[in-house]
Amino acid sequence: MQFFLNGLPIGAIYSLVALGYSLIYAASGVLNWSQGDMVMLGAYVGFTVFFFLKLGFISALFLAIVVVALLGALVQYMILRPLREREAPPINVVIATLGVAIICRNLALGIWGPDPQILPSPVSSRPLSLAGVSVTPQDILVLSVGITLMLILHSFLKNTREGKALRAVAQDRYAAQLVGIDPERSDAVAFAASAGIGAAAGILIAPIFFVTFNMGASIGLKGFVAAVIGGLGTIPGAIAGGFFLGVVESLAGGLISSGYRDAITFSLLIVVLWLKPSGLFLRKNRQKV
Amino acid sequence: MKSIMSRRRGLAAFLLLLIGYHFTPYFVTNLYHLHILNLAGIYTLVVLGLNILSGYTGQVSMGQAGFFAIGTYVSALLMMNWSIPFWSASAMATVMAGLFGAVIGIPAMKLSGPYLVLATVGFGEIVRLVLLNWTPVTKGAAGLVGIPLPTVLGFVVTTEKHFFYLILASLLVGVFIALRIADSKIGRTYRAVCEDELAAEAMGVNINRYKISAFIISAMFAGFAGSLFGSFSGVTSPDNFTFDESVGFLCMSVIGGNRSIVGAVIGAFGLTAVSEALRVIQGFRLVIYGSILVFTVIFMPKGIIGLFRWICGNFSVKEID
Amino acid sequence: MSKSSWWERFTVLVLLLFIATGVGAADAAQVLRIGVVGPESGGGAQLGLGQRRAIQMAVEEINEGKLAGEWTLEVFFEDDEGNPTKSASATNKLIQQSGVKVIIGAIHSSCTLADMVVTSRAGIPQITAGSTGASITQQGNKFIFRTAANDFLQADALIKYARDEFGFKKVATFTAADDYGQSGAKLLREACGKYGVELVAEPTYNNGDKDFKPQLLTIKDRGAEVIFMWGLYTEAALIAQQAQQLGVNAQLCGASGMAALKLIELGGEAAQGLILTQTFLPDSDHPKVRAFVDNYRDKFNESPIPHAAQAYDTVFIIADAIRRAGSNDPRKLRDAISATEGLELVTGDPNFNDNGDDIGKRLLITQIKGDKFEMVKFIKAGE
Repeated sequence: MQFFLNGLPIGAIYSLVALGYSLIYAASGVLNWSQGDMVMLGAYVGFTVFFFLKLGFISALFLAIVVVALLGALVQYMILRPLREREAPPINVVIATLGVAIICRNLALGIWGPDPQILPSPVSSRPLSLAGVSVTPQDILVLSVGITLMLILHSFLKNTREGKALRAVAQDRYAAQLVGIDPERSDAVAFAASAGIGAAAGILIAPIFFVTFNMGASIGLKGFVAAVIGGLGTIPGAIAGGFFLGVVESLAGGLISSGYRDAITFSLLIVVLWLKPSGLFLRKNRQKV
Repeated sequence: MKSIMSRRRGLAAFLLLLIGYHFTPYFVTNLYHLHILNLAGIYTLVVLGLNILSGYTGQVSMGQAGFFAIGTYVSALLMMNWSIPFWSASAMATVMAGLFGAVIGIPAMKLSGPYLVLATVGFGEIVRLVLLNWTPVTKGAAGLVGIPLPTVLGFVVTTEKHFFYLILASLLVGVFIALRIADSKIGRTYRAVCEDELAAEAMGVNINRYKISAFIISAMFAGFAGSLFGSFSGVTSPDNFTFDESVGFLCMSVIGGNRSIVGAVIGAFGLTAVSEALRVIQGFRLVIYGSILVFTVIFMPKGIIGLFRWICGNFSVKEID
Repeated sequence: MSKSSWWERFTVLVLLLFIATGVGAADAAQVLRIGVVGPESGGGAQLGLGQRRAIQMAVEEINEGKLAGEWTLEVFFEDDEGNPTKSASATNKLIQQSGVKVIIGAIHSSCTLADMVVTSRAGIPQITAGSTGASITQQGNKFIFRTAANDFLQADALIKYARDEFGFKKVATFTAADDYGQSGAKLLREACGKYGVELVAEPTYNNGDKDFKPQLLTIKDRGAEVIFMWGLYTEAALIAQQAQQLGVNAQLCGASGMAALKLIELGGEAAQGLILTQTFLPDSDHPKVRAFVDNYRDKFNESPIPHAAQAYDTVFIIADAIRRAGSNDPRKLRDAISATEGLELVTGDPNFNDNGDDIGKRLLITQIKGDKFEMVKFIKAGE
């Protein structure tokens, strides 16, 4: 039970990162390997706002989301649009986003240095004991803010003009273009939204896991795994996949072997892919080519 | 007709270049430069396999370091624990890597795009984690120390210069085999599979068999390169086979031009040289490296080989499509 | 046309620059070139950059104070990204291109082992200030020295202290799945056998892990009274926090690898009372230690990590050796390094045994109280 509960907050983080992957993939068919580094940049921007501008946690969260979202849109306009215009094969796009990841990571190392930094938690880290299991207020904060963000994203996609346009592009890029939607703009929206969610995830985990320049590598990969397990390109799939991965990891690490934890996760992933290539939580095959 | 002529010319130029390369140790006397050339030669073997996989059948692997690791560890352990000679150990390592290629190829044949990428990433990570945690056999994080030097026809390969010729010979054989595969019926079938799976299937091609065989071939290339790498380095540890290493191989493949055999050579040598040359800039070295990657894939969508072709007009070195 | 000739000129210029910087002026008579290899990017960057800063500082101090006799030290840094292949290439470059006569590095044991293949072939002495892997000094390689803290003595002292002072009988180890952590785990296991305490759990974690709760819950279930960690400070701080969150009441202990002031900062309340072995106390009155810590803080606005102190001392060992050897011939330098004695440095009084291990490290048992380490027991210098 404790293992199960421990998996939830980290699962929420994985869900947020997975949402970023899925959103971009659905809109533009791009696999964005720099997603994890948006998490890292979000955490660093939050840290900077908190310590150097001396603003509170909420404004740090807000500013980090805005700054990193703009950066995400910039990546789309500067790098992915030219790639699309040149009709570059998907593998080039993969390399380009990996390049962006390398640039972000090493810029962060140059700017903020190699030592981990802490962003103090707005709530206490003292555990509360509930029916024999312990939970920290920070865990509850991560879960609640995470779920709130998911709801905001959901209503953004359902109710706003930009959100509807994005969904139309994800459905059929050319048809959307015919009815006057600019797909490049929608891609930028998708990138900005993904980067913003990633930044929020970064701020949420900063008090628990510290901020380091290479934190994006592992969290990005885990988020990708979560997105694929849930069914890449779908919002509910990403959320379910994130929580599923968080819990599985916690159980595998606690009950089987901590050293082989990631190996177990990946083996499971390969089996899932083999048996059900469209993800665990999707009924029909909605795989995009 | 014209394309065949120019193809012959391209091939001849390429062979001439290789023969010229043969004399390199006479004017590159700096052992550091020779070391980098040797390393690039080993990487080229891996990238050759990767190009057959990704350029010809369109399957992307981001777990090539896993096969490379299997090649290194299997041959090193055989040589160290059972005193098996280098060539036999190397052959067994190559076969072993091929077997793993089949194992990963079976789930991979059902997958494409991001799903395939993730499956191969997972494979690479699993291999690394097993090497790290299976301490009784792999010596865990400390890795293997004192991997024996290879012996060729009773002659022990010791110096960088000796290795240069050993690696050059392996490379020539590797390029030859890769060219044969690309030119053979298998190669043409691969291209058909890559371009239109449904049509190929309709023509009676057993797609799955070809997809798996491409995985096996690429794994064998990486495995053989790994066995050379182990003896060349003398030591090995899981730190050599990280996800970043797989990414590096993929970058070499794409930057060189992944739909071409010559592209593999250019990519591996080019990127290895660039990453060493950037040592001049300390500090933001990797930022520049990342920018080079981004820049290249945007402005040379078909890799450096594509740029060459564009410059040379219809003088095509080894056209595939 | 004019464009292309401009490019040509530019290329030639760049090439000339390369040659100028690479080959450089011929060796001036009294200059000793030192090469440093370490991870300055990638996961180990904090260790590599800490090493770099300390070495820079030491070299400046030595050159200003003319502490190496008539010799001036010149230092070249290369980044290995924590990758053994890149590390061997970097070492090759330092020896072949920069013409260094002694190598300091690397930090990861896997990198140091790869570098040793290069240095022993070239006959260049190599001193590692950060790698603790047992196999490094057990190969009969005459060109390798180690100034990293001695893990055997630390494991032994920690287990003995935990048994004698607290009467703990059930212990757990929680170690990094890298070479540092695993050699530590092995030494702790042996020490447990020696002192007759029961080892109830020995989980590991992979570097970069953030969630240690599953392992901590296992340790809690097995009833361990004390947890010995072997790893770096980031993970140790996370472990301390998560142990507190889970209500694990065991005493936490660790070794010098995590003994940085940053541990106290990151761990916060949860790190209070943590017991550590280390080679120097940042707040001690020892003049060398005082000067090192103060200068480092002034210069870099950070408190030094243990690896930095070890690297700092290493440069002083080299300065002393070149002064005695009077020649930058690598063999003479090697002999002089191996004969080092009577130097009073930050982490102890260096003295190399036949394997090349520094057996003169100081050993202190300290405890985190408030925002500093307090000494609870002084073991001894030397032996």
